[in-house]
Amino acid sequence: MGLRAAGHGLRGLGTGALVTLATALALPGPSAGVEPPRASGTVEAEWAVGFRNTRAQKLELVVQPELDWSPSPTARLHATGRVRLDAYDRLEPGHPHPVEVSSLSRRGFAGDAADFELRELFVEAEWGRTWLTFGKQQIVWGQADGLKVLDVVNPQDFREFILDDFDDSRIPLWTLRAEVPIGEAQLELLWIPDPSFHELPEPGATYALTAPRFQPPSVPGLVTRVEPTRRPRRLLADGDVGARLQLFVSGFDLSLNYLFHYDDRPVLEAERRGDGLVRFTPRHHRTHLLGGTASSAFGDLTVRAELGWSSDRRLSVDDPGDRDLVGRTGELGYVLGLDWFGFRDSLVSFQVFQSLLLRDRPGWLRDRLDTNLTLLARHELMNERLRAEAIWIHNLNDGDGLVRPKLTYEWRTGLSVWVGADIFYGRGDGVFGEFDGRDRATLGFEWGF
Amino acid sequence: MRSRRLLGTLAAFALLAGAPATAELPAGDEIARRINARDDGESMSRTLEMELIDKRGSKRVRSARVLRRWFGEEKRLAFYYLSPKTVEDTAFLVHDHSEVGREDDQWLYLPALRKVRRIAARDRGKNFLGTDMSYEDMKNETRVTRSDYTWKTLREEACDDTVCLVLEATPLDAEIARAVGYGRITYWIDPAMWIARKVVYDDVALRHKKTALLSEFREVNGIWTVHVLEVRNHQTGHRTVFRSREVDYQTQLDPDRFTERGLRRGLP
Repeated sequence: MGLRAAGHGLRGLGTGALVTLATALALPGPSAGVEPPRASGTVEAEWAVGFRNTRAQKLELVVQPELDWSPSPTARLHATGRVRLDAYDRLEPGHPHPVEVSSLSRRGFAGDAADFELRELFVEAEWGRTWLTFGKQQIVWGQADGLKVLDVVNPQDFREFILDDFDDSRIPLWTLRAEVPIGEAQLELLWIPDPSFHELPEPGATYALTAPRFQPPSVPGLVTRVEPTRRPRRLLADGDVGARLQLFVSGFDLSLNYLFHYDDRPVLEAERRGDGLVRFTPRHHRTHLLGGTASSAFGDLTVRAELGWSSDRRLSVDDPGDRDLVGRTGELGYVLGLDWFGFRDSLVSFQVFQSLLLRDRPGWLRDRLDTNLTLLARHELMNERLRAEAIWIHNLNDGDGLVRPKLTYEWRTGLSVWVGADIFYGRGDGVFGEFDGRDRATLGFEWGF
Repeated sequence: MRSRRLLGTLAAFALLAGAPATAELPAGDEIARRINARDDGESMSRTLEMELIDKRGSKRVRSARVLRRWFGEEKRLAFYYLSPKTVEDTAFLVHDHSEVGREDDQWLYLPALRKVRRIAARDRGKNFLGTDMSYEDMKNETRVTRSDYTWKTLREEACDDTVCLVLEATPLDAEIARAVGYGRITYWIDPAMWIARKVVYDDVALRHKKTALLSEFREVNGIWTVHVLEVRNHQTGHRTVFRSREVDYQTQLDPDRFTERGLRRGLP
């Protein structure tokens, strides 16, 4: 299976890479004085050990080589690879089956301990005043930290729940992006012919999702079976499209966002055939996402706001009278954030994140109004050589949450070391509380070359 | 170099000829005006090497590309980290408005988040990205914020191989002092170039805080340019050495470089 998955990854890599490289070769030829391609990269290692039983969760080494080449002042080719080795294989035991990710973007595996991936491969070129970027890339929208409303263009790998940096857990997709200036504003257009979705850990993994809202509803008297996911697979017809208009008006950074996309988390659709079984088939459905962001500074404060409305969310319902145990609703999500810079070399950041299901009906597996609060406190010492920070995420509905203290020290130029902890608390049926037994200490380093 | 020193000395003597009394020196505000009236080019780009050295002598090295352009009375400055790899592509942008009392607009691009973040501009005295210069110092380059201080000429004094005008700047009020982090700044101004050769900063309690020594003045595209700046913080023992190279005042910089999109895109 590992070799087969590796083969899929390589085939996908080959198709997209060939198209991107062909595009690169079509760029204007190198002019005199053009610098040769530049290689760089990072090496990162992290050890995570559980508090309760001192059982290690991971001992990971991640190497990310990068290549940049600018054949002309208006064109650039960028590639990033990633090789990841884990001595314990507890985050994704055995060979994972990343069927939610298209073969174009899928990781490859070498045995149980290693995976490899082409993280980015894109060509960027200026055409008139328009910038075109084509290839495998990450698109980041929104103003929120830690929680997402509009930052949903790329799906996410949840192998470490939300503990991994988003930059590492976001799944890059093959995308055509155009950035068009319109007066002082800028219009960004996206076409993403790469139907890939969240990678969720399989049962038995350290961070497998077990909270009720992620499980099929129970049906009294019937045996439950979950079928393989029905993932949209047509590259063109199942692609996502999006647009973002950004402008700066009277001291405010504003954006208007639109994305027509598949929900990255599948809904479990039930089918009862009278054979004593209820079969749940995970399916993805399209939704329109419309929203916007705003941010500005007022004295020592910056204010950030993000709003998103999804037209058609489908979520499991615990309602035996419902035919497929799926409810449809619009959803409104927003984040309001305040960053306070009042203490020198410090940042205190507070966010309120709320998600409202617009339809009221019985059986939702989550509260209609779900509220999360986040608090970040950061202080830099020794001319930013030492950074102390703590992030607290708390869910008001379930009373659960996550606390993440961390100390990072820049040992020497380009080499940082850190020690931290990830502490979950709360009810076992909460999104954070389900990992109450997974509290861990972390120790790591990152070196750039 | 010798001719410049001679020019400086002559200019100083022209200003001060036969005038040992402080009253005959140019007024402080006039010196500040001349500092800001100095031609520093409409566009400027340079590569900045920075050595951050703590009191034990442990050194960290960074390099960055600094771009600056005037848009009428508004100055825009963009700062792109080139190395080390762990901070590469981090970028800072400031729109320095000329209107008195209007705070600057500032943005920071964090490549780890792939997001441009708006940052508050009131705390102008915060150390700039770990160096011993403040955001205000970096933004001003060799200029001064005239409207924030009262200016007083103290004396003339030999400095390096020339004669400098010693200029004292005192914040207009406690709020400005708190924002910039200084209770008093003393400049040793070379009247041949209207650039400081030495600056001494006292904190809001008037304790000696920092000393900046500027050196290696060379003309680039007809504009006097400081190539080495060493800033020592006497309270922490930390110091930063800035070295400029590849200074260019002739290439007209693309306005797009000074936008949020330019910040995100990074250097070509």
